[in-house]
Amino acid sequence: MQPSKTHSSESMSKDLSELMKEATKEVHEQAENTPFMMNFQKGQVSLHEFKLVAASLYFIYSALEEESERNKDNPVYAPVYFPAELHRKAALEQDLEYFYGRNWKEEIACPQATQKYVERLHYVGKSQPELLVAHAYTRYLGDLSGGQVLKKIAQKALQLPSTGEGLAFFTFDGVSNATKFKQLYRSRMNALEMDLATKKRVLEEAKKAFLLNIQVFEALQELVSKGQENGHPVQLKAELRTRNINKSYEHGPAHGKESERINRRHTDMMPITPLVRWILALSFLAMTVAVGLFVM
Amino acid sequence: MEGAGTEPNISPPDSTAQQDSPFSMTDLFLVSLIVGLFTYWWFFRKKKEEVPDLPKIAAPVRDSSFIEKMKKTGRNIVVFYGSQTGTAEEFANRLSKDAHRYGLRGMAADPEEYDLSDLSRLSEIDKSLAVFCMATYGEGDPTDNAQDFYDWLQEADADLSGLRFAVFGLGNKTYEHFNAMGKYVDKRLEELGAQRIFELGLGDDDGNLEEDFITWREQFWPAVCEHFGVEATGEESSIRQYELVVHTDVNMNKVYTGEMGRLKSYENQKPPFDAKNPFLAQVTENRKLNEGGERHLMHLELDISNSKIRYESGDHVAVYPANDSSLVNQIGEILGMDLDTIMSLNNLDEESNKKHPFPCPTSYRTALTYYLDITNPPRTNVLYELAQYATDAGEQERLRKMASSAAEGKALYLSWVVEARRNILAILQDMPSLRPPIDHLCELLPRLQARYYSIASSSKVHPNAIHICAVTVEYETKTGRLNKGVATNWLKNKVPNENGSNSLVPMYVRKSQFRLPFKPSTPVIMIGPGTGIAPFVGFIQERAWLKQQGKEVGDTVLYYGCRHEREDYLYREELARFHQEGVLTQLNVAFSRDQAEKVYVQHLLKKNKENIWKLLNEGNAHIYVCGDARNMARDVQNTFYEIVAEFGNMSQPQAVDYVKKLMTKGRYSLDVWS
Repeated sequence: MQPSKTHSSESMSKDLSELMKEATKEVHEQAENTPFMMNFQKGQVSLHEFKLVAASLYFIYSALEEESERNKDNPVYAPVYFPAELHRKAALEQDLEYFYGRNWKEEIACPQATQKYVERLHYVGKSQPELLVAHAYTRYLGDLSGGQVLKKIAQKALQLPSTGEGLAFFTFDGVSNATKFKQLYRSRMNALEMDLATKKRVLEEAKKAFLLNIQVFEALQELVSKGQENGHPVQLKAELRTRNINKSYEHGPAHGKESERINRRHTDMMPITPLVRWILALSFLAMTVAVGLFVM
Repeated sequence: MEGAGTEPNISPPDSTAQQDSPFSMTDLFLVSLIVGLFTYWWFFRKKKEEVPDLPKIAAPVRDSSFIEKMKKTGRNIVVFYGSQTGTAEEFANRLSKDAHRYGLRGMAADPEEYDLSDLSRLSEIDKSLAVFCMATYGEGDPTDNAQDFYDWLQEADADLSGLRFAVFGLGNKTYEHFNAMGKYVDKRLEELGAQRIFELGLGDDDGNLEEDFITWREQFWPAVCEHFGVEATGEESSIRQYELVVHTDVNMNKVYTGEMGRLKSYENQKPPFDAKNPFLAQVTENRKLNEGGERHLMHLELDISNSKIRYESGDHVAVYPANDSSLVNQIGEILGMDLDTIMSLNNLDEESNKKHPFPCPTSYRTALTYYLDITNPPRTNVLYELAQYATDAGEQERLRKMASSAAEGKALYLSWVVEARRNILAILQDMPSLRPPIDHLCELLPRLQARYYSIASSSKVHPNAIHICAVTVEYETKTGRLNKGVATNWLKNKVPNENGSNSLVPMYVRKSQFRLPFKPSTPVIMIGPGTGIAPFVGFIQERAWLKQQGKEVGDTVLYYGCRHEREDYLYREELARFHQEGVLTQLNVAFSRDQAEKVYVQHLLKKNKENIWKLLNEGNAHIYVCGDARNMARDVQNTFYEIVAEFGNMSQPQAVDYVKKLMTKGRYSLDVWS
């Protein structure tokens, strides 16, 4: 397309939203092509992995939203402050409770790569708030775009209920139309008063945000593969569970769901039962002998 | 713990031990030892079997020949699925269940578990058919479980003549190799000599995969029936999803009377209010807006005090309407039913999440009034299900025809149902032998949907009220009947400030993305003819408020249109006032029918090209269009292309690109309906 000689096209290309898209194109592709994301898109994700991701996202969004709150009246951030529509912390808390149980807070850990991301968010929010929009843009607009496709994939791959448990993160109740919301968000980005120098710094921060995300996923990928090397049965179990349910379809849907529930319980109880059984067996034997002795 | 086995029965006969009995101490000791050891052994045995619970191969010895399996279980249709996330598998299961209706028996099968070269033998079974639900993954690849099948198709040189097949593909248009797997299987099977009995279905997950599947399925089965010469009746009563239970002695406190969610939620209102828990808002004003003409345009005000409901101008208000009671009564009369019978419709599939089609127990009257859509022309599947109840052969045939996929049938449905706007009552009236049981009808009719209106007030000025601007829908059909819009007529009849449901509106707010610019100094160009003016009344109120607050407010430009200045110029006084006060910097109104040639908003836009370009280009103006989607929105958009091309010195394609970019950047927003 031939650029017009009028003033209009020049001013257009100075819009932050357009500059952002251009600047993060490459790094966005990089993020999509991480092994984790590629596997996820194929539906190859285990419950174990997913739970770890949810935990990391919780730390990330808690930090991002804390800094958003801090800067909500600051003119360098206020136009893009959309708590009702975007905030994910509460949704993630719901999902974590679903996956880990009531004590989810004690069960989750913050891996190093995630901690690095969290620290950057706090630093930006406190010391360079004009750059906070870069982080909000990177996460939220991504969630609104690919998020919906990922939600369906996750639901099927992890056999999650159609009522939405475990997927609150992907559900934006305050956004009736994701495309329109993105358009609105962009108009707000462009309403930020920013000189060219600041815009450039924002673009750099956006790239940094993408890279931080990539590092988090790569670290999680490593953690999971290490687990597999040690013969960790959990991942295998999840995939087989899927198989199991598929097979049991022939016996009717009832069995499928039941076996899933039972398997889940088994997953949690497996380490305990052998011990209990041993104790019971031995105590019965002991009792028998004792009775015998008593009788004698 | 599963199957912990029976409780070991250690009750050594200690009572008898004390007596002088034939049993000696040693005997007792031995007995208890044996019992103990036996118990221990039994326990241990079960335990060993349970510990490795991982690979649970549920089924016994699996035949890798699906032909043998089908013969053994009396099936003639096999539905293979290439599924990664379970969708194709689900579709396959549904198709195999469908077969039952047509006197056929189907089974779903995972291609990975069978030897697909057996396909050449399928013709050994009478009325056999192989259906394939194939999902495409990644770069046009087969799913994991279909990889072997795919390889076999490519390499094998089988002769599949005699094999009948059909394929439904699951794909996603955003990926380059859309439905590659489905397309390949369809093509290859034919190349190998198989006979296609129905066209390839191409489901698009980016659009609506479920709908694509249902549409394909609805035509697939009639084609199968035609091919095999079977009737779609199979059984006298078609497959009901729900079972009717009539309650004779019921606690009225447990009966639903129109609530959308929780029982008694209309009596005990608890925030937060949303789609499942609407707020009963009091109507405080309901006045006619137009001064003349045949239509009825109205302005309503809903009181949302104490509801904790918040909104922004540009948001939508959703209302749950009720059907016209005379329509409901007529249905009851024509079917000869006591509408106040309390009943429940319970899902026969106990595993389903959906226990009832609508809140139960309830009366037929409540269901037809609050829960079911009785005004839209019924869909073909409804006609199909009802056909069995028509005692007159001619009427039955017509119903079946309209539900079929034959071209003649589709044409008949289009003219007799759709174009004639026949609703269910009209169909019952025009087909006197058709008298379905009312409970089956309740199962078939779709749910009554909430209606959305653009809010016509600003929350800054009216924090406790939501205003609505709407036109009542009323028209005469080709059959001479008068059809009325459900929600608009229901709203029209709301009486302000009365006690009781006559002045209450169950509602909630649905956030939209239609928003004034962040900076009040940004100019806005609003285009909203007819009731499209609704959100702009709110916008203008807000700009006025901002001005009062001392903010610098940019140009506020309105383009409005109606038919006749003297008849339907909505909010004329308010707009004049805003214009006079300087809040509304430009008020451009087109009266379409006040002169010989039609004058619409786009004509007014064309008269102000230079000014509009200036606002856009220098002022960073935001454009808003609200109202009719079909014609007005498109005409307005074309006008903008014209303005941009002319005054921006651009070619048409460049101008189109410029405007599209405005949309992407949130500077050109639409709130349109058709």
